Amino acid sequence: MASPQMRVGARRRMATEHRREPGSNRRVAARLLAVERTDAIFPVLLQEIVVLGFPRALVASVNLETGDLAPTLSVNFPRTVQQRFRTSLHASENTLVKVLRNGKPAVIPGGPGRRALYCHPILFRSRTQCREAERRPAGGCLAVDNQHGRRKLCLPDQVCATCGMRGYSALVVVELAKGASEREIGELRPLVGLADRCLARLSKSEHYYNRLTGLENTLAQMQTVMGNMHDPVVLTDNQHRVVMQNRAAERFFKLPEAASEGRARAIEFNHLLFSAALSSMALTGAEAHRDLTLVDPVEGEELLFEVLAAPTSTPDGSRSGMVTVLREVTALRRTDAEVRSQYDRLRHAEELVRQDRDRLNLIIENVGDPIVVCDSNARPVLVDPLAAELFGSERDSARDPRRLRNHAKFDAYISSFTFSFSDRESGPLKLFNPTTRGEVEFDARSGKIYDERGQVAYTVTVLRDLTAVRKVEQLKVERRMLEIEKFAATGRLAGTIAHEVNNPMEAIKNAIYLLSGKVSPEATPVYDVLKSETERVARIVRQMLGLYRNTDQIGTVDVNSVIEDTLLLFRRQLQQVSTQVRTRLASLPMAVGSADQLRQVLSNLVVNARDSMEKGGTLHVRTRYFAGGGDSVRGAIRILVADSGAGIPPALQSSIFEPFVSTKGAKGTGLGLWIVKGIIENHGGKIRVRSRVGQGTVFQIDLPVVR
Amino acid sequence: MKPKTERGRILVVDDEPSVLLTYKLILEQQGYDVLAASSSSEARKTIEQENIDLLLCDLSLEERHTGFEVIEFARLRQPAAISVLLTGYASRDVSEQAGQGGVAVLFKPIDIEEFLSTISAQLKKRHEQSKKTG
Repeated sequence: MASPQMRVGARRRMATEHRREPGSNRRVAARLLAVERTDAIFPVLLQEIVVLGFPRALVASVNLETGDLAPTLSVNFPRTVQQRFRTSLHASENTLVKVLRNGKPAVIPGGPGRRALYCHPILFRSRTQCREAERRPAGGCLAVDNQHGRRKLCLPDQVCATCGMRGYSALVVVELAKGASEREIGELRPLVGLADRCLARLSKSEHYYNRLTGLENTLAQMQTVMGNMHDPVVLTDNQHRVVMQNRAAERFFKLPEAASEGRARAIEFNHLLFSAALSSMALTGAEAHRDLTLVDPVEGEELLFEVLAAPTSTPDGSRSGMVTVLREVTALRRTDAEVRSQYDRLRHAEELVRQDRDRLNLIIENVGDPIVVCDSNARPVLVDPLAAELFGSERDSARDPRRLRNHAKFDAYISSFTFSFSDRESGPLKLFNPTTRGEVEFDARSGKIYDERGQVAYTVTVLRDLTAVRKVEQLKVERRMLEIEKFAATGRLAGTIAHEVNNPMEAIKNAIYLLSGKVSPEATPVYDVLKSETERVARIVRQMLGLYRNTDQIGTVDVNSVIEDTLLLFRRQLQQVSTQVRTRLASLPMAVGSADQLRQVLSNLVVNARDSMEKGGTLHVRTRYFAGGGDSVRGAIRILVADSGAGIPPALQSSIFEPFVSTKGAKGTGLGLWIVKGIIENHGGKIRVRSRVGQGTVFQIDLPVVR
Repeated sequence: MKPKTERGRILVVDDEPSVLLTYKLILEQQGYDVLAASSSSEARKTIEQENIDLLLCDLSLEERHTGFEVIEFARLRQPAAISVLLTGYASRDVSEQAGQGGVAVLFKPIDIEEFLSTISAQLKKRHEQSKKTG
């Protein structure tokens, strides 16, 4: 707004140009209507007032924020006089304020030393509503309200509730000459009234211009925001046609000018998918979201989006379409799916581990033997309740010296195993049992558990209480001794009888020999029966005599020396049938039993082998000891007697150990192997035979080792 | 029948009369000059009185006497005489004891062919030895 001083200078120039040239009303109206800016209205108005012949005029404007009235433009009023027109709207008794509030032009009469003043209030007003107010009648129109004086001239009231237009208020003051005629005053009223209306229109159009500029700014800002968004944003109309979209969306929906066929097809396809998705979401009429797969027309890959769509509406509330934001979640979903599956896998693994642990605990609790698990430094990490009894908890062992000793013994054992190179270990461990308060022999069996790098992770040790086993073993030994003794007694009886029979037999045999050639031809068959049957009895007697020989006590037996003695005894006989003897005797622990009985076993087997190899062959005798063999804790001695002779026919193999079964026909007694089996079983052993006709026979004997 | 002196003189000792008799008959059938004794004392008497080439003695004699005693006795009196032990107890002890003394052992029941061949072999050996010494 121009300053009042500037206008003072202008008045003089204007006065000289226009005074005495009173223009017609039409010219003045044309000049006012030609003004296109609000701030040019008052200068033109004041000029025209001066042209009409009035000496001085000014415009005082209301600051609607403070409520102050102050001169803003003046012609020919000295500055001091202008101060008379400075007041506040709150000064309701002020004549100027009264005129303003009244809203109608008025003449303030002059007084002594002061001329009368014509005052014309200027206000944003109109007889007709603006367009916004027409569309939204509820809000009312500030201009119309002012026209009808419905509103008070105060601060908040001068803003239109419908269009946001700020009102204004001013007072045009014209000094009247003395004796100014009614006609002169009558010329002023339409002039100021026209200016008032022009100002109202220009203000309204400037308001629209300002709003447009503001909207353009907002639009530019919005476009910047949308353009910089990574997520595609699409505005669609009610037919789901794209109205507006940002750059990110154009990649999927906008067909470039020189698009390849594939890209065009992809975009077409995206449009189909997108409008189908929108159709489903538009049904709700509210904000909706769903997943949507689109094709990236550039890369050709499928992308998963989360679509968030909100309906848009026009200011009058009708639906105009939808605004849709698409969030690419392909990677997110993939990650999510991965996380889920990882989680599921983890849960599954955890379940398995839990089951395993439960199972393991169940096993450990039910093994019934103390179990100790140690780490790679031979420190116990798991001690089951039974083992805890032996070694005690940390506190107990500190108190109980005997548990401490158990601890030390176990420590020494497990340390040497942990740092050894073997995978498994077993050994005796004598520990103090706090429950029975006695020393208990344990068989400690340990194994190593390796981690994936092949390092020892843990060792597991099971302690087997051998008390019961030892007791059973002792019982077995005692029973076996008894059996051997019984067999020996039977043998002695048989031997005694055989010996008693032997002498008469000798005489009979000799007598038969003496009769040979002296028997009449008719009696010869009878003589032959006599001779052959007597020979048979002689063989049985010889066999039974063998049983008689064991007069020695039951004790420990060196099996190897029994074998060597027997082979020595038969060396000549074996040489006679050109049989080679091959022995391979390993070092053996002592066996418990009768050396004589075992010698008889060996004799019988060697004799059988010799008889089966009439045309020569090889006799193998081997021994070895194996720790885990047999039923015994101490292992077993194995004796192998193998010949390369005639073999045993399959039909006979199952019954070869029964009495009176022989492969030798009339030459055999059928008692040898029966006696062998009896002796071996009495010694707690086992005998097996394998044979193939024409290839040979192998006898395998396992004798338990007892200490 | 060949002259007795050529075949040799044999003393048979056995406490079983029937066995003793049959051995005697068999050996006589083979042409040997056979003396028989049914006890160790009788055997000793015969060894003191008669010259013998071969002593055939059972291991177990009357009461607790054994054939080894008789053989021992014969060794002292007639060192040149050869001894053969007969026994029904085929024990290792006996074999060892006989082996140490250089005495041949025949286990009862005795195969007569083996019995006769052993005797003739032993006598032949003695004959050759006496030839060398004589």
